[in-house]
This record gives sequence, C-alpha cells and structure tokens, in this order.
Amino acid sequence: MNTLQRWVSSKWFVPIVSGLLILLSFGVQYIAGGALNPVLSPKWWLDAGAHDTHGGVAFMLSDLLMIAAAVLAGYRILVSAIRALTTGFIGIDLLVSVAAIGAIIIGNFWEAAAVTFLFAIGHALEAATLNKTRSALAELVAVAPDSAVVLRDGEQVEVPAAQVRMGEIVLVKNGAKVPVDGQVVSGTGAIDEASITGESIPVEKSKSDQVYAGTVSRGGFLQVLATGIGADTTLARIIHRVEEAQDAKAKTQTFIDQFSRWYTPGVMVLALIAGLITGDVVLALTLLVIGCPGALVISIPVAIVAGIGRAARNGILIKGGEYLETSAKISAVAVDKTGTLTEGRPQLTDIVVLDAAREAGFDRTQVLRWAAAAEAGSEHPLARPIIETAQDEGVGPEGIPGEVTPVPGKGIVTDVDGTRVLIGNVPLLEQYGIERDAQAGRVANELAAEGETPMIVAVEERAVGVVAVADQIREDAAEMVKRLHEAGVEKVVMLTGDTQLVAEAIGKATGIDEIHASLLPEDKLDAVAKLQREGHTVAMVGDGVNDAPALATADIGVAMGAAGSAVAVETADIALMGDNLLKLPEAIGLAKRTVSIMRQNIAIALITVVVLLAGVFLGGVTMSIGMLVHEGSVLVVIANAMRLLRKPRSESAPQATSKRESTSVRDSVTTQ
Amino acid sequence: MSAATTTHTTLRAEGFSCPSCVTKIEKRVGKLDGVDDVKVHFASSRIEVDHDESKTSVDDIVAAVDKAGYKSAPSAF
Repeated sequence: MNTLQRWVSSKWFVPIVSGLLILLSFGVQYIAGGALNPVLSPKWWLDAGAHDTHGGVAFMLSDLLMIAAAVLAGYRILVSAIRALTTGFIGIDLLVSVAAIGAIIIGNFWEAAAVTFLFAIGHALEAATLNKTRSALAELVAVAPDSAVVLRDGEQVEVPAAQVRMGEIVLVKNGAKVPVDGQVVSGTGAIDEASITGESIPVEKSKSDQVYAGTVSRGGFLQVLATGIGADTTLARIIHRVEEAQDAKAKTQTFIDQFSRWYTPGVMVLALIAGLITGDVVLALTLLVIGCPGALVISIPVAIVAGIGRAARNGILIKGGEYLETSAKISAVAVDKTGTLTEGRPQLTDIVVLDAAREAGFDRTQVLRWAAAAEAGSEHPLARPIIETAQDEGVGPEGIPGEVTPVPGKGIVTDVDGTRVLIGNVPLLEQYGIERDAQAGRVANELAAEGETPMIVAVEERAVGVVAVADQIREDAAEMVKRLHEAGVEKVVMLTGDTQLVAEAIGKATGIDEIHASLLPEDKLDAVAKLQREGHTVAMVGDGVNDAPALATADIGVAMGAAGSAVAVETADIALMGDNLLKLPEAIGLAKRTVSIMRQNIAIALITVVVLLAGVFLGGVTMSIGMLVHEGSVLVVIANAMRLLRKPRSESAPQATSKRESTSVRDSVTTQ
Repeated sequence: MSAATTTHTTLRAEGFSCPSCVTKIEKRVGKLDGVDDVKVHFASSRIEVDHDESKTSVDDIVAAVDKAGYKSAPSAF
C-alpha cells in the first residue's frame, strides 16, 4: 500500500498512466478491426479542415481514451498555468494549455493527448536531470556534519554539530567527520580534505594545525579546539559562495532573460495573427507549442550551475557566471613569486667567507654569527632562516638585539655590542664607505644567478662574507606554466619584489614568459595595467597584502590556499581552496568549457525554434512532433551541461595511477 | 516589523525546472501572514524567507512551498 502511494505521488505516475491510455486508445482503434471501438456520440467538435487527423465522423471510445490521457497529463499543466497567470506571468504552461484545449475543441484528440503527454514526461525528465546538474552542490551540503563528540567536564558527550560551543574541545576519531572548524590541540591523524580542497590524498594533522568541518578522519585521534561552528565554518562559506555564484547572472543570461520576457507573449501574438490571417486554427496552435522557450531559458543556468558546482567539488570557488565568462577569456596570468612559484619558506643555502677576510682570521661560523646578530632585530622575512640556522649551529644571537637601521632596497645596518655590522647589497656597502671587495660582488652575483638571494656581511670597515637565502621552487610550478599555456594562456608573467637575477633564475627554471623584478606593490599594479592595455584579460595570483592592489586591478583575482582565509573565500574572484598550483590551469580550462557549453546551448535552443518554425510554415510539423522536438531540445541542453560534471581528461591521469596501485596491492595480497 | 522578531530561514528545494517556479513560490509564500520578504533563487533552488516566527513557522512555509508544487526542507545555513 505504501509503495503504491509513493508510486502514485511520484513524478512519473502521470506521464506513465497517460501514456498507457494513449496506447489503449490505439489498441481499441486497430485491434480486431475496430470492433472494440464503439461509437459513443455523434460528432460535436469544430471542423479542423485539412488538418483533420481524426478521420472519423463520430465520437468513439478511442477518442474518450485520448481525452482522458490529455486531461490526466494536462491537468497539472493547466493548474500551473492558471497559478502563474494569477501572478501576472505568461509561461510555457499557458502556451501548452491553450494548445491542448484548442486541439480538443477542433477534435484533434490525438494531438491534445500527445502534446500534454510529451510535455509531462519531458517535465519529469527535466526535473530529474536538473537535479543532477545541481548534484555537485548537493554533495557539499551532504558532507555537512551532523553530530560531534565534545569533552564536557572530562566526559565525552555526543551533541548535534550545531550545538558545539566555541572554545570547546571536540574529539575526532578514526572514520569520523570533523564537526567544526578548529585547531588541533593534541593528537595526530590523517584527514581527507577532499570536500574542502578537492584533494583526496589525506593530510597529516598534528598540534596547532587547522582542520575544517566536513572533512573526514582517515586514521588517528585528534583533539580539536572549536573555532568555527555551523554557519561560521569554511564549509558553510563555500556552500554560500557556490550558491551565490550559481545565482549570479552571467552577462549573456541577462540578455536571454530580457529576450524571453518578450518572447512568450510574442509567440502568442504571432500565433493569433497567423491564425486570423490564414484562418487555420491548427497552424496557430502548432505555433504556440513550438514557440515554448524552454530550452532557451534554461540553456545558460544549467551550464553555470554544473560548471560552478563541478569546480567547487574540486576545491575551486568561482564567484559567478560573469567571472566564469571573464575567466574563459584569460590570456595573461600574472603570478607573485614568493609563496606562489616558490614555497614561501626561505632557507639559508650558502655561507661564503671572502678570501681577504679568511686571511684576517674569519671563518664560516663567525660570518654566520655576525649575520645572525645583525638580523636579530630585523623583521625582514629573510632574517628568519639566518637566525634559525645560527641557532641550530649554536651560534645564535643572544640577549637584546642591537639598534637596527633598515635601508630600503639595500639592507640593514646594526650596532652589535658596539660593533657596526652591515648586511645587504653592494650599494649598501658603498653608501657606508666600506672598502670595495671585488670578490664580494662577484660571489653575490653568482649566487643570485642561481636564484638565491645573496647578502654581503660587513663587520666594521671590512666585507667578510656572503650569506645566501633561497626559497625552494615549488615542484609543480613548471608544470603549472606548461598547463596554463595548454589552457590557452598566451603569457605567464612573474611579478616580484626580488632582484632581477634571482627572478631570472626562477623564471628560467619554471618556463615563465616574462619577468618583472624589483617591484614595489604599486609597480605590480602598473605591470597588470600594462598587460591590460596590451589587450590581455589578466588573472593575477597572489597571497600577500602587497599583492592586494594588483589583485584588485586584474580582471580576475585568484587567491591560493584560501581554505584558511575567510576573507579570500568571500572576496577572491577565483579562490583555490587547497595549495595546489595545478588548480589554476584547471580552473581556466573549466571556465572555457562552461562558456563553450553555454554557447552551444543557446545555439541548440535557437536553431530548434527556427527549424521548427520553418517546418510549420512549410508544412509537415504537427503539434505533437513540435512538442517532441521541443522537449528533446530541452533534454539535449541539460545533457550537454551535464558533461561538465564529468572529470576532464587531465584529471583522470593521476586517478589511473592510483587505481593501478590499488590493483598491485590487491595482487600482492592474493599471492601471499 | 522590528528586526528582533524577524527570523531568516533558508530552505533548499527540489525540482525547480523552469524560472517561472520563482514567481509562483514567491507569491504564495509572500502572502503568508508575518512574512516580510521572500527570495527564490532558481539556479541554486534555494528559498530565503524573512518571517515572524510567531505568526508563520518554518513548517508553514514548507507547506506553502509544497502547495505551489515543490518539495523543500529547511537548512541550517
């Protein structure tokens, strides 16, 4: 009984029963030579002239069955049309209702049944497939955690995830979903962050690491201090962003919206005029049916919903349809060096003692000690690796750092216990009148050419050595540049505050097309503006505050590693949740595919209408054929958009490897 | 109409198949007593309602959306 009820209320019940009635009608007409098809009443309908498909002269059982099919399938359409009409909306439902009622009045019962049946079944199919295009978001909503185990008064208590209080300790066990955003306070574990970053390889988490609600523990045990709950979690922000993005209209969409506002009433007027001029009621009704703008009105939304949802599932947040359209046109990408092409964690790589200083009794340790002592009071990012190395080697700076005078663009001058120590470039030494040491400049240049940042150390009046700090180039930086080119980006440009030599070395190693070095923040903005003047659509990738002006100027601002930053999720045009460089070419590729599917969809919709229109005036296209083709075009448009949900080829490669790995694991297990 | 009594409810719905659903639902929910504002998003099939909880409950809104022909469920965010 329950199953029956569910079946009756399902969206397939009406079209299926209506379809069966149509089949039954054909059955009584043709089986046993029409013996099962008694006459019920004389003819009562209007004359359809040349279009009379009925053939018969009297009202028979088969006609009653056709009307029953039409009424069953058409009832909801009519109700919906009247509802829409009371709110002042002329919709597709109304076109279909008028056409079906008109067909019954002129005795084309088969057409009335066919049109309503096809519309109803098309509608059910549309609803089912449209939900699929939204599936990427539905998956995100589904990963939202339900319950949490919190530590209250030393006891484990299970509470709904939304009722965890800020600052409480939450326990995350193996296999459990992380219920809140928070910081690990103790324990270690592997967390699958695919729902946030799109990366399915679990990430090791230990004390003071950040974890996100909706990610899943794949082992270990973590105690997490809750810092974000419910709507204040990264997952909730992502879901919001995606929904807003899906609703944000693309430029093309606004045009189509305006178009369809006039289109539907326009079709009704056209049908009326055509009917009045030719006196052909069937022609007018057929025009109504084929004029349904169904495929046109959904052509863009389905593509955007699928494209943005697909991107979100891969850890790429795109702000909306308009940004999707702009991203598809990106021809130049500007990247900040530090933290983007490089890891952003500089290491001390070289300590060189100058020959002249060595003769005077300086050694490696002393150079390092002086350098560290000088940098002790500096806040420059390059100071940290020097100080850390000195501490590791037991010559770290102790006590209070001396007085520090930074010289912008050159280095720093300090006073260490009464000794003047300089650390910086050749111009700094010149400025302080230090005796020129030819070897110092040469060593510095050699190190710079290898992509390291050299700093000459001078004690009192003498240059004693050179220390060099280098930031590791990211493993996939070169691959990213290559894939950006493959995705149709003409120019990849590096913008950096670092020196020309360092920038060149890194540019060469990564295959960057153009480098701009020694830039101040406003210079970065100018570089982006210059690219735009050259006619490029520019995407800028950056993370630091010094990139902010350039990010704002670029056509598309891209934030990397955005999962940890609520601001980036809210403001970046494209936010890459994880720290994976290859997501950038993927985002551009996806934007291109989405926009091309939008265009294909508009083309499909318009061509269908034009061809059908021609078909009606040239003859041959009946109301039911029109509806069939029309519903077909709607489904084609949806199916086309669903292609976006499939994994692109570039992504399936690593999956294949992992599959192979798992097979080999299984093989080894079976052979044991 | 003060902000203190207004609740913001987000519903996620199923089966939006054409943009005319938007008008239908907005009118129907908007007619409910105590509903200040209703916004239906077609693409993400979301319904956002500002309402006075004492006059119209979340269940009333779900029922109204159901009458317009669509299934929906309230969502935490």
